[in-house]
Amino acid sequence: MNWYGRSLASGFLAVLAGMGLSSQAQAQAYPTRNITMIVPFAAGGPTDVIARIVTGHMAQTLGQAIIIENVVGAGGTTATTRASKATNDGYTLITGHMGTHAASVPLYPKLAYHPEKDFEPVGMLAGTPILILARKDFPPKDLKEFITYVKANESKVNAAHAGIGSVSNVSCELLNSILGVKPIGVPFNGTGPAMNALVAGQVDYMCDQIVNAVPQINGGTIKAYAVATAERNPSLPNVPTTTEAGLPAFQAQAWNAIFAPKGTPADVIAKLNAAIVKALDDEGVRKRLLELGSVIPAPADRTPAALGTLVKNEIAKWTPVLKAVN
Amino acid sequence: MGDVFTNLGLGFGVVFQFVQWTPAFLGGMSIPIPVNILLCLIGALVGTLVGVLPGIGTIATVAMLLPITFGLPPVGALIMLAGIYYGAQYGGSTTSILVNIPGEAGSVVTALDGFQMAKKGRAGPALAIAAIGSFFAGCVATVLIALLGAPLTKIALAFGPAEYFSLMVLGLIFAVVLAKGSVLKAIAMIVFGLLLSMVGSDIETGASRMAFNIPELADGLGFATLAMGLFGFAEIIRNLDAGGETDRKLVQEKVSGLMPTGKDLKESTPAILRGTMLGSILGILPGGGATIASFAAYTFEKKIAKDPSKFGHGEIRGVAAPESANNAAAQTSFIPLLTLGIPPNAVMALMVGAMTIHGIVPGPQVMQKQPELVWGMIASMWVGNLMLLIINLPMVGIWVRLLRVPYRLMFPAIVIFCCIGIYSVNNAPTDVMIAGAFGLVGYWLIKHDFEPAPLLLGMVLGPLMEENLRRALLISRGDWSVFLTRPLSAVLMAIAAALLVLTVLPALRKKRDEVFVESEN
Amino acid sequence: MNATPGHAPVKSIIPKWVRNPQEFVGGIALMAIALFALWASSDLQGMRGFSFGAGTAPRMFGFLLLGLGALITVVGVVTEGPHLAKYHWRGPFFVTVAILTFAFTIRPMGMIFAAMASFMIAACGTPETRWVETFIVGVCLTAFCCLLFPYALGLPLQLLPSFMIR
Repeated sequence: MNWYGRSLASGFLAVLAGMGLSSQAQAQAYPTRNITMIVPFAAGGPTDVIARIVTGHMAQTLGQAIIIENVVGAGGTTATTRASKATNDGYTLITGHMGTHAASVPLYPKLAYHPEKDFEPVGMLAGTPILILARKDFPPKDLKEFITYVKANESKVNAAHAGIGSVSNVSCELLNSILGVKPIGVPFNGTGPAMNALVAGQVDYMCDQIVNAVPQINGGTIKAYAVATAERNPSLPNVPTTTEAGLPAFQAQAWNAIFAPKGTPADVIAKLNAAIVKALDDEGVRKRLLELGSVIPAPADRTPAALGTLVKNEIAKWTPVLKAVN
Repeated sequence: MGDVFTNLGLGFGVVFQFVQWTPAFLGGMSIPIPVNILLCLIGALVGTLVGVLPGIGTIATVAMLLPITFGLPPVGALIMLAGIYYGAQYGGSTTSILVNIPGEAGSVVTALDGFQMAKKGRAGPALAIAAIGSFFAGCVATVLIALLGAPLTKIALAFGPAEYFSLMVLGLIFAVVLAKGSVLKAIAMIVFGLLLSMVGSDIETGASRMAFNIPELADGLGFATLAMGLFGFAEIIRNLDAGGETDRKLVQEKVSGLMPTGKDLKESTPAILRGTMLGSILGILPGGGATIASFAAYTFEKKIAKDPSKFGHGEIRGVAAPESANNAAAQTSFIPLLTLGIPPNAVMALMVGAMTIHGIVPGPQVMQKQPELVWGMIASMWVGNLMLLIINLPMVGIWVRLLRVPYRLMFPAIVIFCCIGIYSVNNAPTDVMIAGAFGLVGYWLIKHDFEPAPLLLGMVLGPLMEENLRRALLISRGDWSVFLTRPLSAVLMAIAAALLVLTVLPALRKKRDEVFVESEN
Repeated sequence: MNATPGHAPVKSIIPKWVRNPQEFVGGIALMAIALFALWASSDLQGMRGFSFGAGTAPRMFGFLLLGLGALITVVGVVTEGPHLAKYHWRGPFFVTVAILTFAFTIRPMGMIFAAMASFMIAACGTPETRWVETFIVGVCLTAFCCLLFPYALGLPLQLLPSFMIR
């Protein structure tokens, strides 16, 4: 029942702050109560899992519980809109990702927020590499053959994706625009059904995050042509990078990062960022993220400023690709 | 065969694992504790208690309780989750029977006859037969998974978009048969449900359809939201103007016996058997198979019954069959997850989430790589069902006593629970408002003798049907003949057509007779 | 408060040649819904070659519902049937207000207020309510919900109004 006491105390504190106590003093005390972390996807999804692993450790550092609030809808934009309007006191945060904080800009013309104007970047959590996958009996043997085959049979091949705006959809559009092809895109409701169709051989190829694909590739039910990152992934040592396989232009990674509403005090953000950095250096956290096939950001990429730059670059990268499709 | 027994042995070994507990106060003495059994029991109990709250369906319950399991070791966590799942499902049936509020598509069917039984003072037998049927179905399905899990996976893979579309067409025909009254009105309600299911973003283009720029509508109307409105709130409003108190007194006076009679059991046994069979098969199909299991079973019972007019008015077979089918399907829907690592529905997706949190990424090799996990889970399914029976048979008396709470106190409580339930699914106040609006729609429907059940089923099947139709046509490049040239799809279409003829013809004849009789007067 | 749907000899605006007003009005309402849906989906793209557009299915079902509504209306004219059921305002009104109260207060005011307020408003829905008893039950229920949802189930529900926390 100590919550009542605590929230009453913090309520009192807030009143004091209103009476003229400087925000400096308030920030020094931060956090004095539970922090709400909005996750714009369902519990158990890749973003949710990463958010829970990292915030679990952050909560220890900050000395307050971080309560995860899963808000699902419209490719994560419903939740992000809500987070953009939250009080900017550092008690409401959001775990955004490539879709909510970059690809959403060209995808949703009526987007009620802007990733750069309405949010303060806090810190990067992890990246998830994207793979080019195909059904196991798809004729091409490697990426070079794949490129020739898809170009030659443009009207015959089917590319699956997990729904408009999903990582698999967005990254596949990038691949297709690089190859200069427009195959038929077969939409599925989520990665599970799309993967099922690929395993069953009902569709030819798709792009997807490594988490979902590793067990299927190892089980031999589908095959992978390349991973779209600069380095090979330890969980799939035999799969070449796109650069090695001859398509260096295709570089894509789904990333997850924490954002706060615009105007959140700088010292609060510094505290949060320090907690993220500490979590990413923790052996247990690293081990679990690596098990998921995630890429842990290098120290230089963990600052709020680096995240701000990433968001800017990503918006610039996805806008022309997705504008051309819609 | 031998393998299966070794494997099941391994599974039960995991479930019945004892951990030595050596508390200090016993001075070094240790007590063996069956941790996994306890977790399964706690899961089933908590699942039932949460699932029984009106307004909180199976998916919401599992999602809500998922974080509780994060602190446990992987096998224990999954066993507990399985317990929660069965518990939640049974809890949902309880609310359908007692207060006519189904939390998921499957319980819509249970509510049809279950609630009528409750109205006649037979809530006890309805709840008991639901538990017994579920337990039996659970036992059969567990054995089935152990014996045939791997080969059955092939069925799941043989189902492409064309087959799913045909299956959904068949499902819609089942929905027509569900109706008590006019076939025409039932069809109209299904189409209304289909139209409602179109709200939200289009799967292929992402275009916003009939959402009027309301962000909460962008992903469509939630099933729980609609069900709470059309069943829960509408039922409350209707009870209020019919003078709920007098109605309730009647129910209370009528309560006769908590357990099913010999006659009940005799009637239900074949229904349970058939329901289990249908459910087990349909459950394997990912993406919608399990959804239509319970009403396929209901339709089947109604069609082969000597006196189908009893259905919808408190027929015990109308509870036994769908409940068994639902539970069997819930069980066999684990097959694609265990053999392919692909979650076939939202609840299973949550299970995968739980696995990934624990660092297990399920895939086609999960059976070889983590046999103790897979077989432990299969064994725990059986244990979970046993727990349900143990927990719920004694609780039937308590649930029935709940009906004696005066309605003037009961209904505001149901309103609050529904509101909290709907709100907590997505933390969205708009969902609560939408449910309220559909409460009024439901009230209007009752007043005009339209049945909400076909509407809800149309709403559930609509997206599955449209999406699979479009996928099938995309893959076939616009060739409509795929639905007839693919053998599985053709068979399903043929069954659908036959069933439609069987349903519509008698109705037409009856209508004509009525018109005839009336014009003579 | 005794509604006997079906035979109430209400003075009705429905013309005499409608022998089954319940179906007649129901059919017309369905047609109205269908027309609304057709209007709402009129901005959506139709067929693009062999592939369905966003608007194809909604329009298809819209027209189907329009047709079915018309059929039901016709049935309402040619068959004998019950009169319009009597509507009551008290139950629907208070239950709806209670639901709206909950929806509007849960975020700004927290659960204690939202649950208690909507419980009391919903209770106004029937004349049978005894206020002292209802108040006590309301307090107990609110307390129960406050223990159950945020604590036992760990849901992110706020108990107190926002202005008291910040």
